[in-house]
Amino acid sequence: MFELAVARKHISSDPRMVLFALLSVSLSIGVIVIMMGMMEGYRGDIIKSTVENNPHLTVEPKEDEDYISLYRTLSGRLYSYPQVEAVSPRLLGKAGAKYKDKVRGVSIIGADPLSEDPLMRVQQDMTWGNYYDLVYKRRGAVVGTKLAEELKLRPGDQFSLVRQNQSMKVKVVGLIQTGTGSDQTLVYLPLKTAQELMNRSDVVSEIGARLSDINSAPAVAKDINSRTRYQAQSWEDQNRDILQVLDTQKTVMILFYFLIFIIAGLGVANTMIMTVTRRTREIGILMAMGARRLSIVKIFLAESIILAPPAAVLGCCLAYVTAKLIEAYPLEVSSDIYIVSRMTVLLTRESFIYAVLFSLSINFLAGLYPAYRASRLDPVEAIASE
Amino acid sequence: MSEDIIILKELTKIYKDGVEVKALDRVTLSIKAGEFVAIVGPSGSGKSTLLNMIGLLDTPTSGQIFLKGIDVSKTSASQRAHLRNKELGFVFQYHHLIPEFSALENVMIPLLIAGKSKQEARERATQLLDSVDLGDRLNNRPNQLSGGQNQRVAVARALANNPSIVIGDELTGNLDTKTSNLIYELLRELNRKINQTFILVTHDMGLAERTDRILRIVDGRLVCELRREGDGFVTSEVCDLGEDGGKI
Repeated sequence: MFELAVARKHISSDPRMVLFALLSVSLSIGVIVIMMGMMEGYRGDIIKSTVENNPHLTVEPKEDEDYISLYRTLSGRLYSYPQVEAVSPRLLGKAGAKYKDKVRGVSIIGADPLSEDPLMRVQQDMTWGNYYDLVYKRRGAVVGTKLAEELKLRPGDQFSLVRQNQSMKVKVVGLIQTGTGSDQTLVYLPLKTAQELMNRSDVVSEIGARLSDINSAPAVAKDINSRTRYQAQSWEDQNRDILQVLDTQKTVMILFYFLIFIIAGLGVANTMIMTVTRRTREIGILMAMGARRLSIVKIFLAESIILAPPAAVLGCCLAYVTAKLIEAYPLEVSSDIYIVSRMTVLLTRESFIYAVLFSLSINFLAGLYPAYRASRLDPVEAIASE
Repeated sequence: MSEDIIILKELTKIYKDGVEVKALDRVTLSIKAGEFVAIVGPSGSGKSTLLNMIGLLDTPTSGQIFLKGIDVSKTSASQRAHLRNKELGFVFQYHHLIPEFSALENVMIPLLIAGKSKQEARERATQLLDSVDLGDRLNNRPNQLSGGQNQRVAVARALANNPSIVIGDELTGNLDTKTSNLIYELLRELNRKINQTFILVTHDMGLAERTDRILRIVDGRLVCELRREGDGFVTSEVCDLGEDGGKI
């Protein structure tokens, strides 16, 4: 393979050209890997926060009913699934929270801490107080941190919950921070208190279940739906919109990757065209010595492709260092918009494999035209050129 | 008598670059194996075009070229590349060595193109460079060698695959008399020893007069042919010396 020897010689004799071609590819590889990592990180965070902040499975009332009254029986039934780890009947509702002259709309979750905590890991997110206090403090409430901030509520303060013509005074016994937008509206009450506020008898609006394997949620939901008239939904069903948004975003990102890919390719192609122009006479001489056109194509294609592996390695290193920097200096983002409160970068093995494939194909495609052009040179004119 | 290694029949080349230029006009010619031929003529007369045709670098507008009996006009580009590699050796006016390659590597290229192993190519190239007295400059690059030395490397490169025809375009044009004599002696020796055919385009009549046959081209036409006979040259029947005052 004299072609490879010639290509290698070209590369070692022109470090500046190599450097620029290499940098343009590795920079774009780096950017693509980092973007992929951010997408993956964001997607992972969203799924995690969705899974953590929602039951893996919820069972809602029969189609023609508003509430579940036989919730104890249904809970027992849910427990009969081996994947089910925790079950909690919950009464959900909206209300107004009033403290001094401030009023905010809130989302009430009425549940028994003894079943709700295993389901939602509420205690983990408490920044102050103990969720289990609600077991015996009937007029106690656990309030989202942002909500407390906005109402200027402090631990121990008493505030009013208002719903239709019902009003009730409750005391802040704990503060909770989930890291999601719900921190602005969340109020946990004991189940009985919530029933009282909403003027309901002993009923719940849903039963949440936690599963040992979240991927089994759709199957369990399907099974419940086929055996009962209750409506079971997996977390994926409930968050279809968000997952769809993520998919759309992914499509947009792929378009961006493609653009970056093209820009890098143009950079490489430009460098290669310059090389071919500079080596026109040499190409003519090689032809005079009997090199076939295909050999000329091979030389310049090899010259371009040889640069791909180092570009991929450099790009990956760049991405890795950037990822570490982003992790070291966490980027705070608004959880109202992004659902999660900080940007994480998740570099998967796949993104590195993509990086290598990307750089190989950038260098291959970008080398193709200059190499073809080199092979079509007229040897007489090429030799005479200066 | 040896066979005709090159036969040109009614070879015409017309360049259509805006104005139509007839670079070669119905040139008919045959060269025997082992001949040492000089092509002379004023600048722009078509010498180099003729040489490029014989060297299979250029294709004629009309007419035929036979190389060792093969009708070249009927061959594919890749077959012509193969013939260039095996049967032809080129030496250019400016040595045209590849600057990044050492002398050894430059001579190795045609061997590698021919599919020889690196080891084989290295041995053959070393031997060739030895024979042009550059055995001690194998690893020097062209910019570390003198003009004459580079031209000798170029000769070694042209001879690499033991071609039956060596073509030189003003190969001594850039050298002083002493060096060009040296190169001439080198070629002449090879010509005698292994019956290689040499076709040289030259401006240097001193060099031309030491060959066996002088072809004179004016305005794309072969106007005169001189053959060595003993110590002198004999003019062929047709020798139109009128056009530029009869000077050769």
